[in-house]
Amino acid sequence: MDDYSSSVCYTDFDDEGLETIKRYKPRSLEELANRTKFSKKEIQLIYQGFKQECPSGIVNEQTFKHIYGQFFPFADTSSYAHLIFGTFDLRSSGCVTFEDFLVCLSTLCRGSLEDRLRWIFQLYDTKKSGKLTQDDFHLIVCAVYSLLGNVSSPRYDLETIREHTVTVFQRFDKLHQGYITIQDFMSFCLNEPTIVQSIDGLRTTV
Amino acid sequence: MASVAAWLPFARAAAIGWVPLAKNPLPPPPFRIPTSGGSPSSPSTSTTSASATTVGERRCDEKLIINISGRRFECWRSTLEKYPDSLLGSNEKEFFYDEDTHEYFFDRDPDVFRVILNFYRTGKLHYPKHECIAAYDEELAFFGILPDIIGDCCYEDYRDRKRENTERLIDDRLHEDEDKTQPKPQSKRETMWRAFENPQVSTMASVFYYVTGFFIAVSVIANVLDTVACGPDPETGYPRSCGERFSRQFFCLDTACVMIFTVEYFLRLYAAPDRLKFVRSVMSVIDVVAIMPYYIGLFMNQKGEVSGAFVTLRVFRVFRIFKFSRHSQGLRVLGYTLKSCASELGFLLFSLTMAIIIFATVMYYAEKSVVHTKFTSIPAAFWYTIVTMTTLGYGDMVPKTWAGKLVGGVCSLSGVLVIALPVPVIVSNFSRIYHQSQRADKMKAQRKARQIRIRLARNATSNAFVAAKRRREQHSDDPNSSAEKNFVNPFELQHHHLLRCLELTTDREFIEMGPDALMSSGAGTSLIPGSNAMAGLGRFASPTSHFLLNRRKWWCCGPRRRRKNSYKLSADRANNINNANISGDEFDEELVDLRVPSSLTPRTSLTLSHNVTAINVIPPPPEQQQLLQTSTTSITIPSLLQHDVVLHSNVLSPLLSASNRFDLNYPFDKGSRNQLNRKANSLTTVYEHGSTNETTVDELLLKPDVGRVRSPSSITDYASHRLTNTSLIVDKQSDEQETVKLTNEK
Repeated sequence: MDDYSSSVCYTDFDDEGLETIKRYKPRSLEELANRTKFSKKEIQLIYQGFKQECPSGIVNEQTFKHIYGQFFPFADTSSYAHLIFGTFDLRSSGCVTFEDFLVCLSTLCRGSLEDRLRWIFQLYDTKKSGKLTQDDFHLIVCAVYSLLGNVSSPRYDLETIREHTVTVFQRFDKLHQGYITIQDFMSFCLNEPTIVQSIDGLRTTV
Repeated sequence: MASVAAWLPFARAAAIGWVPLAKNPLPPPPFRIPTSGGSPSSPSTSTTSASATTVGERRCDEKLIINISGRRFECWRSTLEKYPDSLLGSNEKEFFYDEDTHEYFFDRDPDVFRVILNFYRTGKLHYPKHECIAAYDEELAFFGILPDIIGDCCYEDYRDRKRENTERLIDDRLHEDEDKTQPKPQSKRETMWRAFENPQVSTMASVFYYVTGFFIAVSVIANVLDTVACGPDPETGYPRSCGERFSRQFFCLDTACVMIFTVEYFLRLYAAPDRLKFVRSVMSVIDVVAIMPYYIGLFMNQKGEVSGAFVTLRVFRVFRIFKFSRHSQGLRVLGYTLKSCASELGFLLFSLTMAIIIFATVMYYAEKSVVHTKFTSIPAAFWYTIVTMTTLGYGDMVPKTWAGKLVGGVCSLSGVLVIALPVPVIVSNFSRIYHQSQRADKMKAQRKARQIRIRLARNATSNAFVAAKRRREQHSDDPNSSAEKNFVNPFELQHHHLLRCLELTTDREFIEMGPDALMSSGAGTSLIPGSNAMAGLGRFASPTSHFLLNRRKWWCCGPRRRRKNSYKLSADRANNINNANISGDEFDEELVDLRVPSSLTPRTSLTLSHNVTAINVIPPPPEQQQLLQTSTTSITIPSLLQHDVVLHSNVLSPLLSASNRFDLNYPFDKGSRNQLNRKANSLTTVYEHGSTNETTVDELLLKPDVGRVRSPSSITDYASHRLTNTSLIVDKQSDEQETVKLTNEK
């Protein structure tokens, strides 16, 4: 299929007709260990979990949402999972293979601070325009709030979300240009110690 | 290893997207992450292991050990490599290789694996008949084997069962979607429509249902009695019908019924989501036809010229009886059956028509010669043919000639055959549809129970998080309390940290959910996790606590009891009431039939810590596809379960704003820390494979970051304000054990 994974395509003859089911397998453990910053044991672990959820070897957006939903009990994870899926889907093919997943995870867990900030920027920049506008922020803020579900207090509504968006955007957009480029974003974040610490705090061992 | 746990790093990593948006700074991680950057198993080791495996592969044949959930299978490597497209035949199995035990470990079903391994050995894949088709398919999918190589001996069976299963799933999903699309009626109109369609929804709807049913019955009976002979006409002496004798009364009755039907029709028309579709539907047509004659009669001149048409119209009044089909499930099923058997019925009709024409023609010509014959024309002979073919035989027309009698005999014999043929098809259709509708009702009931379980499971996570927070606060209050036997679970730590980050990002708080967190199962069972999530996360839901918590709430209506239940921390009354209202309404409907499990012990103060026994971190294997498919996977209560019964109800830490009210610090005493250390080590070897195997507890604990201690919030009677002023200072002792002292810091 492509350089990243070998795939087995086969057709399953149903009563109704043909149905193509693609199966993906990553190529080899050593290759993945070389390409990413994980050890073999860690990759094994991750793969076992991955395969359990998606035996066919690829994740589609639906599964992503389901997985994310397991961690946030009452959340409506569709919007946030959609955004994340967008960044993981390196080939914009609508499905994420294990290699894509592992590469992105390696950036997120073991990458440098700049790499991670760049990932965050990509996450926000859904239109891939290179600039963040207030609408982009609004989208992501809505997505984060929807992770809360309705079991939070005080309750939130559209007004709260809008206020939050405005506050955050104004913090970033010091020059009041109405948009934020990646350099502004990164320089702002690097200079903000709380952000740096918070990002570090979310590192996980696998 | 839980697959859910395996995804936690991903969830946490993805959470860095929240960081720039956070209103409050996020708490530091629950334990120190080795910041040495790359993985400890450096590239050098990976190359050596790579070379080892290549050496192994090049060796000619060796026996591999495959460990499936404890059952060990051995086979030659070449056996497996016969099918290089599957998991076992390719190097995908290297992902499951356990270097410590030199075997391939899979956490799957050993019985099905036996069949799969046989496939490699013999080349034939069989389908074990006692196995569930869905489970079997999953295993095949996991091991990368295509179902169409199932051998001929088992292929038919497999296909049949698969088709049956898919049909059933599709049906169920349809019903489920139907149910799901009515989550909460948004407007009055939708409420009304729901009330019309499902009379069990509310009492008003039931009342309406019974009233209309009553009036339909009254109207039909009136129609019937209208024509009964009621005594002679005083003027002419002829017998006359009751309708003529009591014409005023019947007219009033009719008017009343028609008014009710009209109102009902217009209400339904108003409430219908798609009015055009409604107007074209069968029931609507029946309604219109039932009430039209009355109105037409009103506007028509009753005497004379149009009386013939008027009488015809009155006939249509009998259609009111069809309105009963809304009230009767069986009638609807019958109607649906007839609709679905339309092709069989059509065939029957067509063949009958053909036969009738043929026999009628022959009869006519055979009896033509008879004098004063009844068979005056072919259409006249139709009547005879129909009566004969259906074996009625009225006897008003009989053939007199021998030829006619012969034809008559053949006619009746063939009639039996032609009519008997399509009938079994119709009957079996009816039976299938009827059973389906019965099963749909049963599924609805089961679905409710299932949803409650899922809700419970979700509440468990949410509540566990909130409870864990409070527990930490209490521990900090009382550093010498004897409740230090709280073993922590790194997975839970990280998960809670993640939830905490979310809370701080949005400046909101997760709250405990109230009376909906009831258990549907009987007393004594542990919390039933309903969904995939709970396989991994359910282990730290403490069942006993929920018994107590929920019992209180259930018995007494929400707000009052909740107020009583708050202790130590003063509740924000307004918040409580708000939340009580919110959670109360939502779940009332669903919980009607649940029994309350008996609570175990009366609620004591603070923490009852339950001692934990064996370590069993691995939760039961989670279900895969269907989120709502439940199994009664009970939680294996692992050792590191925080079994605390501290639950006061959803007391909210009110109006939190900027202050971070806790860091994830907790005091420990020596003994428990020893134990914790050992247990934590065993866990951390699982979680941090390559890295430091000897993490000590202090790495698990938060190293307080002095700069992050915040000033206490202004909420004075919130007991945890003491915590915000404290931080943990870890002291070194003689050996590597460390104790913790709480210091106060302003």
